[in-house]
Amino acid sequence: MSFESKLSSLKKYFVEEQLIKPNRKVYVFKSSDIKYLFKELIDNFGFDNLYVSTIVGTDLLKEGLIRLDYYVVFLPEEVTVVFRTFISRENPVIDSLIDIIPGVLSGECETHDLLGVVFKGNPYLKRGFFVPKDIVDSKEYPLRKDSKV
Amino acid sequence: MAKTVIEIPYVVELPVGPQHPALHEPLLIKAYADGEEIVKVEINTGYNHRGIEKLMEKNNFYRGIFIAGRVCGICNSVHANCYVRALEYILGVEPSRRAKCLRVLAMELERIHSHMLINAVMAEILGFTSLFMNIMLDREKVMKAKEILTGNRVLADYMMIGGVRRDIDGVKRDKLLNLLNRIEVDVKRYKKIFEEDDTLLKRMVEIGLLSRTDSTKYSFVGPVARGSGVRIDSRASDKYDAYDEIPFNVITREEGDSWARMMVRWDETLEAISISKYALEHLPSDANPVPDERRLPRAFPEGSSYARVEAQRGELTYFVESRGGANPYRVKIRTPSFLNIIHSSILYIGYTIADLPVILTSLDPCVSCMERVTIIDLDNGVSRKIPFKELANWRRGD
Amino acid sequence: MKEIAVEKQYVTGLAKIIRYSPWLVHFNTGACNGCDIEVLAAITPLYDPERFGVKLAPSIRHGDILVVTGAVTKKAGERLKRLYEQMPNPKFVIAVGACAIDGGVFNKAYSVLSGADKVVPVDIYIPGCPPRPEAILDGIVKLLSKLK
Repeated sequence: MSFESKLSSLKKYFVEEQLIKPNRKVYVFKSSDIKYLFKELIDNFGFDNLYVSTIVGTDLLKEGLIRLDYYVVFLPEEVTVVFRTFISRENPVIDSLIDIIPGVLSGECETHDLLGVVFKGNPYLKRGFFVPKDIVDSKEYPLRKDSKV
Repeated sequence: MAKTVIEIPYVVELPVGPQHPALHEPLLIKAYADGEEIVKVEINTGYNHRGIEKLMEKNNFYRGIFIAGRVCGICNSVHANCYVRALEYILGVEPSRRAKCLRVLAMELERIHSHMLINAVMAEILGFTSLFMNIMLDREKVMKAKEILTGNRVLADYMMIGGVRRDIDGVKRDKLLNLLNRIEVDVKRYKKIFEEDDTLLKRMVEIGLLSRTDSTKYSFVGPVARGSGVRIDSRASDKYDAYDEIPFNVITREEGDSWARMMVRWDETLEAISISKYALEHLPSDANPVPDERRLPRAFPEGSSYARVEAQRGELTYFVESRGGANPYRVKIRTPSFLNIIHSSILYIGYTIADLPVILTSLDPCVSCMERVTIIDLDNGVSRKIPFKELANWRRGD
Repeated sequence: MKEIAVEKQYVTGLAKIIRYSPWLVHFNTGACNGCDIEVLAAITPLYDPERFGVKLAPSIRHGDILVVTGAVTKKAGERLKRLYEQMPNPKFVIAVGACAIDGGVFNKAYSVLSGADKVVPVDIYIPGCPPRPEAILDGIVKLLSKLK
């Protein structure tokens, strides 16, 4: 099966398709589907043929959402695909992928410490993992648009 | 049962957060050892992180180029290049072919000097100090070459939107080719030492094995992954700048141990030399590589872009989002050491304490951040500090 | 590690004793490592620091000159101060690089004490981003000649 056809079997999760320059396809999915989506990705491709490159969290103050982008690189073609989801800013909770793909550890811990996203099921999340103590004590999330740092 | 705990305060550079590096709370690699064997590794507490992402939101796009270059002194060209290319994707600007070639030249020279540096450090950790001094001496030729090309030894500040900051003429080109030929002779000699010298081989072969599946499962990138057979190289997949025109090989090895990782770096150095020579010999003359600064826009259009670059340590990525205006809305930098070091705890289990510095150095961490190691004896609660280098010679009863 | 009982012998005012063999201690308060690799390069054979008697000290208690790189944050500043207090007299501080002088590119960032001289008394400033190894050695030699 080609790369395109392996990915097309996951179309049931995709709500929308976007593009990030220069040529990265973005597939938007519902945040509650995250574990099913990634489990099927592993089943279709195998651990040997994909890795999670980075997790980018962005605070969208005006829309009241936090946007999470999971950048996954597929091998052997080495194509970067973005899986994007939105969670509420007031209660930013999403399932953790750490039991499926341990390589998300650094990305999830960083997004938690800097934006306040809670990844349910990740035992390593803690504040102060990156951010120094005085910011932790003031309960600020540095990368939020309304933070006072 | 674990009898000793070894705490290695190690500083990882992460360009996130509003704070500047806080050395007081470095990354702590806590290795629990039973006798000499490591049974468990925890990587915890604070990291060294900087206000770069927040700082970039407060400064305009152009100043960001200088900030990006100062994320890491050893990788400054690739950081600046990745950020500049992300901006060029948003703007829709394409630099001239000559500029692309010169950019490749700057980045490959940086790759050569960085790989020589980490191999020198590995030799020093293993006690081979004269090899360390020799490699550092020959590395000075690379620094000279960088200075001829960009004007500065370390921090090049060479990249700008639309091209590079200075051009080279025929005289400089000949000097660079001359230096590269001499460097190639040195590198071949050092590679042979790493292949044949018993003191080095005994300490590196079969140490820190990383399987092919674990490589991608734990998101390792760069020479660490390539040493385990994963064929990833952003230069081959994205073909940015002049890499679509210059032929080169992606180096992989199957062994997956520390030796394989260092050998991947030596082979990549030879590849980098051949890429640089090709770029110099086939330098296009299509346009002036230095663009006119006055024509660059002050406010950027809306849009987001994601650029990847093959840094010395692995895949380095920049995500830039612009919502109009002169400042970016979001800049996300993910350095390769972020993945390699934080996920490395699986590599140490089952090896002896003396192997720990060897494995850590084979991951190519930031060289000058290695300080003192605290050894805590769990039985009697005694703790002492020793320099990181001495850990490589640690024996029970010391 | 054996500690040399240095404190008993050296008294402030006899600073010129270290003139012939100053040992360096290098401390990175969190820089980009540009200055650090130039300090590292300065101790290699091409620049031959040993003709001045300069070498890297094995521990802080053996150090004569503290070489500081990086813009200093509040937390690194505390550590720097403690390091300085652990050094035996006579002792001197050299600030290497634009960041150690006044914070460099980062001097407007939130909790950066812009410059090493906000924490410890600095004797020599070596500007540059990063300064060349020759400039670093030149700064050290200037410091030594000041001691006459």
